[in-house]
Amino acid sequence: MRWLSRLFQRSKQDSHLDSELRFHIEQQTADYIAAGMNPDEARRRALAQFGGLEYIKEETRDARGTQVVDSLLQDVRLGLRMLRQSPGFTSVAVLTLALGIGANTAIFSIVNSALLRPLAYSHPEQLYLVREIVPQFAKFYPTINANLPDFRIWQKQVHSFADVAIAETTSADLTGMGEPESIHGMRVSANVFSLLGVQPAFGRTFFPQEDESGHGRVVVLTDAFWRTRFQGDPFVVGKSIALDGVPHQIVGVLAASFHFPPVPPSMGGAEDYSGLAFFEPLDGPRPYETSLVGEFDFVAIARLKPDTSESQAMADLNVVQAQISKQADDPMPMKGVLLPLEEVIVGPARSGLIFLLAAVGAVLLIVCANLASLLLARVPARMREAAIRTALGATRARIVRHVLTETVLLSLAGGGLGVWIGAFALDWFVHVAPPGIPRLNEVHIDARVLVFALALTVATGILFGVLPAWRVSRSQPADALKSGAWATTESRRTRRLRETLIGFELGLTTLLLILAGLLTASLGRVLAVHAGFDKSNALLASVDLPPQSYDKPADRLRFYNEVLAGARSLPGIRDVGWVSIPPLGGQGSVTGITLPGQQQPHGETPVANYRPVSPDYFAAMGIPLVHGRIFEPADRGRKVVVVSQNVADRFWPGQNPVGKVCLTEWGPPIPAEVIGVVSDIRQVELDKAPLMMVYVPDWFNERSVPTSATIVLRTSSDPAGGAAALRGLIHKVDGQVPITSLQPISQIVSQSVDARRFPMFLAMAFAASSLLLASLGIIGVVGYSVEQRRHELGIRLALGAEFSRLVRMVIRQGMRPVVAGLGAGIMAAVVAGQLMSSLLFGVVPYDPLTLVTVAVVVGMVGLAACYIPARRAMRVDPMVALRHE
Amino acid sequence: MLGVYVRSLGVTRAMPEAKPEFLKGAVDLLILKVVALGPIHGYAISQRIQQISKDYFQVQQGTLYPALHRLENRGWLGAEWRDTDTGREAKFYSLTRKGRKHLEAEMASWEQMSNAVALILRTAE
Repeated sequence: MRWLSRLFQRSKQDSHLDSELRFHIEQQTADYIAAGMNPDEARRRALAQFGGLEYIKEETRDARGTQVVDSLLQDVRLGLRMLRQSPGFTSVAVLTLALGIGANTAIFSIVNSALLRPLAYSHPEQLYLVREIVPQFAKFYPTINANLPDFRIWQKQVHSFADVAIAETTSADLTGMGEPESIHGMRVSANVFSLLGVQPAFGRTFFPQEDESGHGRVVVLTDAFWRTRFQGDPFVVGKSIALDGVPHQIVGVLAASFHFPPVPPSMGGAEDYSGLAFFEPLDGPRPYETSLVGEFDFVAIARLKPDTSESQAMADLNVVQAQISKQADDPMPMKGVLLPLEEVIVGPARSGLIFLLAAVGAVLLIVCANLASLLLARVPARMREAAIRTALGATRARIVRHVLTETVLLSLAGGGLGVWIGAFALDWFVHVAPPGIPRLNEVHIDARVLVFALALTVATGILFGVLPAWRVSRSQPADALKSGAWATTESRRTRRLRETLIGFELGLTTLLLILAGLLTASLGRVLAVHAGFDKSNALLASVDLPPQSYDKPADRLRFYNEVLAGARSLPGIRDVGWVSIPPLGGQGSVTGITLPGQQQPHGETPVANYRPVSPDYFAAMGIPLVHGRIFEPADRGRKVVVVSQNVADRFWPGQNPVGKVCLTEWGPPIPAEVIGVVSDIRQVELDKAPLMMVYVPDWFNERSVPTSATIVLRTSSDPAGGAAALRGLIHKVDGQVPITSLQPISQIVSQSVDARRFPMFLAMAFAASSLLLASLGIIGVVGYSVEQRRHELGIRLALGAEFSRLVRMVIRQGMRPVVAGLGAGIMAAVVAGQLMSSLLFGVVPYDPLTLVTVAVVVGMVGLAACYIPARRAMRVDPMVALRHE
Repeated sequence: MLGVYVRSLGVTRAMPEAKPEFLKGAVDLLILKVVALGPIHGYAISQRIQQISKDYFQVQQGTLYPALHRLENRGWLGAEWRDTDTGREAKFYSLTRKGRKHLEAEMASWEQMSNAVALILRTAE
């Protein structure tokens, strides 16, 4: 910083330098006088010998090293003056840069928080997700969640683990605080907070003994729930809330910055972590959680000891798993696997986010190319100025620096505005983004984002300035000064450069359009997929029956039946039914299937989703019957099931499955009779293959009247209007039953593809802005070259050339870079399409329809962009054009 | 081009054909050596160089002052304002410890170089 203080002490330094030099002259004069010269003569000689005072001062200042900064300041002043002189160009440049840099900053913020920032727990690199491998399910579920008794054994016996904790999502009906509400929470082992290394905002977390039965009637609240339901009451600790009718004491409140590790649903985590309200301790194993080989429901997170490697820990875990296998009532070789927690959380989103970042970066590149092209158009004028400066002694480096200063100034203005825009874009993004982008609730603009934005801004300024700077610095002073006319003509080389830039822009635009097109086509294919159920005109209401009043299956069944009976009398209703978990509602409970008398080897038992339904559910959901019949009142008491087509295909290929007996077993086998086959349905996602389904009637066994279910109403027209009536009906049957969701099926289908629609929408927006920018670039280049050639074109017209032929000629030249860019873009898209094939569904990366559509669109836009300036410029009278010179 | 450099380096008369970089180092070396004798102001430095070299080198002001400020900036020279014998205030330069080290290193390398040059000139005859 010494040079900086020197810079500001400049005037003081200068006066010192002045007196130093004056002293020299005076001494010299004194010496001459002493040698016998008369004073006047002595002074004159001394001055003459000294040489140019100002020149020496300048050289001395140079030697002091502040010169670079001085000339930079000078460049900045000059640059600002140039920018003020052309406000049109300046505002276009600043605005497009601001949008480009803003979009990049916003997307980078998301990438930063999702992919770059370490997880917000202490030493996140030591955290691993523990998954179990049960050979019985391995074919269908390669890894599964953890089981509670296994966890207790790991805690004691896996020595590579510093600690291990488990958690499962849970929900509870909150009563006694206004309208009953089903709130989401997590049931966790007491050590989960200390394992993650987080402290509560106040109060405490759980004590180890609260993992034991009868000691766990305590809750820790999340910050969001505490703020909304308790208005941030600082004395909340010690109060009590009723969860499922049971009072729980509030012992602590978590910090706002705490987020439970968002393990994706595919790895056993929750669909949505944003709405978590509370954490409760294990409170002992539930009666059904005592088997070593059942109820694999928990997300297990282990912290490895600091000096332990992943493979070492995995080996340790598997030794313990082998021992557990031997102790189990049904011995089978169980295994376990460790997955790095960070990878589990951010891995699935990585390719999509990187694609978005690349796409938004491409838009900024196009902005740069456009600005470079605009600046190149101004090169001739700048060349004359540069030539004068060169003639006056400026070096080429100085001229390059001068142009770059100007472009970096532009991009700094754009970048400043861009970060501001980016902050707004980010807010919007976080608001509308679909689930599936990890850690979105942690997104903010931090120091790294700002450094990124600054670096990007400076790089952008240099990038779009370097070509024009290079061209300007090539000016030959003698040529440029010889004739004024020469300097205003664009040289062939500059035009070539501008055409190359246009080709580059078109290439990138084509690439973006094709990729956006592929995403759009994928979304279309997903929505058009044969879902196996009717995707329109149905209203779905999910309810969660409070356990304290619906402990008995008969009570639950009565509730469902009353709701169905009431719903049938609503206007415009065609069919009504209920199901434990509706289509697109996820997997939920599963069951193994075997054939009677046929001993399936371990690990081969196929697993199907187990779905209790009311008989008329199939009609209400629009799931067509393929074979046989559905449940009838006469079946009551009999063990009958309806299976999906893929179950029939797997067990009775080519045969009529109706009447065959199959066993569904989960625990002791239950003999059952298949009475019908219905169409396969997409149970989890539209783009995932249908799963095997076994539908059972409410009388099948003790588990076949679920505690939470979805009421399905098929309507003859748009069902949205029936929502209020259905809500009223449910509350009339029982005002204490919370409705967890109430939506038309069309909306559920639409939300299920949000994770596809959103990137597609962004990619489309980026591609469209690129196309707009690129066409502006074409208009600029063609318009400018027509303007340059008005004289020549005027002569041609005067000599009898047809107007339309001239337009064609101009367009042919203008289209040259467009066609080249289009070709290059298509080739690049085929390669890039392979890279992003994981984001595609049902389309190949070289999808001909997409390629042709994009080629036609780009071609048409290119033609229009060439035609507009060609036509406008040539509407002049040839005489006027000739006289113009 | 060469003329411009030589003018700006300000070593005149005797060595019109000398190479610029070579000379720049030489001027610095001469200044450091003169200052090494004790605190001294710019005018005296130029006089001293001229005297010692028996008028062979005449370091001009356009070379001297930039060089002094450059050497001061590098921390090889210290400077303070104080009165001369005649009671005028002047800027006196003195050698810093860092400057002394640099001077010794430079003198050694200069000696080596001039020996080498002399050797070539003698043996190549």
